[in-house]
Amino acid sequence: MTGVTDISHRKKFFARGNVYLPHIVVIDKIIDETPDTRTFHFNFKDEKPGKEFAFEPGQFAEFSIFGIGEAPFVISSSPTRSGHLEFTPRRVGRLTNALHRLGTGAEIGFRGPYGNGFPLDFLQNKNLIFIGGGIGLAPLRSLIWNVMDNRNKYKKIDIIYGARSPADLCFKYDLEAWDKDKTVNMVTTVDKGDEAWTGRVGLVPKVLEEVAPSAKDAVAIVCGPPIMIRFTFPVLEKLGFTPEQMITTLEKRMKCGIGKCGRCNIGNIYVCRDGPVFSYEQIKSFISSEY
Amino acid sequence: MASKKINKKDIAKLLSQWSQEFTVFVPSTEDGVATMAKWNGKDTSFLDWYRNTVIPPKANILPAMEEMFSFQKSKEGYHIELPPTNGHKQLIFGIRPCDAKALAILDMTFKEAYEDPYYLSKRDNMVLIGLGCTNPYDSCFCTSLDISPAESTDVDLMLTDIGDELLIEMVTKAGKELIAKAKGLKEATKADDARAKKAKEAAYQKVSRKIDTEGVGDKLSACFDNQDYWEKAAAKCVSCGICTFLCPTCYCFDINDELVKQQGTRFRSWDSCAFPLYTKMPMENPRLEKWRRVRQKVCHKFEFYSMDFSVIACTGCGRCIRLCPVNWDITQTLNNLPEKTR
Repeated sequence: MTGVTDISHRKKFFARGNVYLPHIVVIDKIIDETPDTRTFHFNFKDEKPGKEFAFEPGQFAEFSIFGIGEAPFVISSSPTRSGHLEFTPRRVGRLTNALHRLGTGAEIGFRGPYGNGFPLDFLQNKNLIFIGGGIGLAPLRSLIWNVMDNRNKYKKIDIIYGARSPADLCFKYDLEAWDKDKTVNMVTTVDKGDEAWTGRVGLVPKVLEEVAPSAKDAVAIVCGPPIMIRFTFPVLEKLGFTPEQMITTLEKRMKCGIGKCGRCNIGNIYVCRDGPVFSYEQIKSFISSEY
Repeated sequence: MASKKINKKDIAKLLSQWSQEFTVFVPSTEDGVATMAKWNGKDTSFLDWYRNTVIPPKANILPAMEEMFSFQKSKEGYHIELPPTNGHKQLIFGIRPCDAKALAILDMTFKEAYEDPYYLSKRDNMVLIGLGCTNPYDSCFCTSLDISPAESTDVDLMLTDIGDELLIEMVTKAGKELIAKAKGLKEATKADDARAKKAKEAAYQKVSRKIDTEGVGDKLSACFDNQDYWEKAAAKCVSCGICTFLCPTCYCFDINDELVKQQGTRFRSWDSCAFPLYTKMPMENPRLEKWRRVRQKVCHKFEFYSMDFSVIACTGCGRCIRLCPVNWDITQTLNNLPEKTR
């Protein structure tokens, strides 16, 4: 993927003209995931955009608190689960701190969806290995639920998910659900356990090496902190995965979300416009090493 | 259609006619800084002093700061409102060929994929009256970018100084319509055309600074990881960002909110790859070091932009050279690219 991505199919939602104008969405449920991460359930305030809105797993949106500012977050719910949308910001900066102070009923700005999303067609009829770390499960879970809700379109599913500590595991209710599901091999790990933790202990790349999924007819989808991704790719290569079989999402500072404001570039690639989902093959072809 | 001409003394009359239909902008000084500002209805002295503006005409389309919308909170929740549009058409008089080309380059970004309504609403309601350079700066290098200082196809009308008169050439349909309506113009003679041709050639010869654009993208690509070169190239840069703010093709922007008593605005403002904050994320920053930012600036213009749009995002206007507080010179950086990759 170089140059301009064809996004004509996504432009429909913006037929009303101004892409920078946010819709008003209302927060109707808040879930504490970890000490610093919350999931917000929200719905469109107006009926019409709520009905028209469509997205693909892996796409993101620009969320804003009026008076504080805007930032991009992946939509962490699955398009197959209608009724509401979700996003899961970790408290790290000014906007996310303000988001974490909001209660239900709060109105925030929302514009999107942006970005390419995961290549669903490419994943069909394949064995899928989801490898996530920490908050990196947010984009993965959108895809995982999408896959679960169309289970017969995909083959074997492995999920390897890790966090620093048991308290830092996100979406524990999902982890439980996937663990109970007989069609899924769910492996949860923590870098460091606590007194109550009886599960696996070990870094994600190490656990991946132990689980050793076969590369045959498989695609690995890796989301997590850069350090985890950096150590996971070599393990996958050792297991026989080719760069085309390795998919990840990249993160950069963004403002506009539509390839204009300039800052999220890696060479001529704009992560917001051409990504955020890339195969390792594509990443290796980037002319810039700034990822 | 044959060219026309107008006596310089009659320019004010012509601008007055155009003022009926357009908001006319001419080269002016505001607080001592040359910019395209609203014509005051009489002054045409810019014909004597104007070489080029400090602030490029991009500011007429992509202002340094611009309201995107306002928002207000009431019992019913948030209400969003677009800023009022005055519906005014802009006429920019005296734009240089380099700056007109710059707008054509900017169009590509703002028209691509998602259209930018703030940019395009102004750009689509604008006519450009070009005025050829007769006295380029020694920092100018437009001819290296296939731009002739006194010729342009990116304007609606092109004017050339032929002494006491200005020769007028019609470039676009909009330009022809302007001329059809204009009063007080004379037909240009063959001698006038010949004088204009000579003036254009003379201007072209005066641009002495050169860069070699042949294969520049490949050369930049090859030395992208040559940290040593980029550290040296960036050594004296003070990261003030003025070269990007005053660059006619730089368009990077920031989006921010301002809030006073439940009533606020979301606005966008020029931003710059020269600043470390521009790419700062909570946990990391891909361009924290200065040499990475200087490399981004050079490579974006001469390598990345042409990968997307097949055009170099530089017009050789020379502002980044003559207005730099530490005399950083992009032509030196480009003319000494090493073959060593690391």
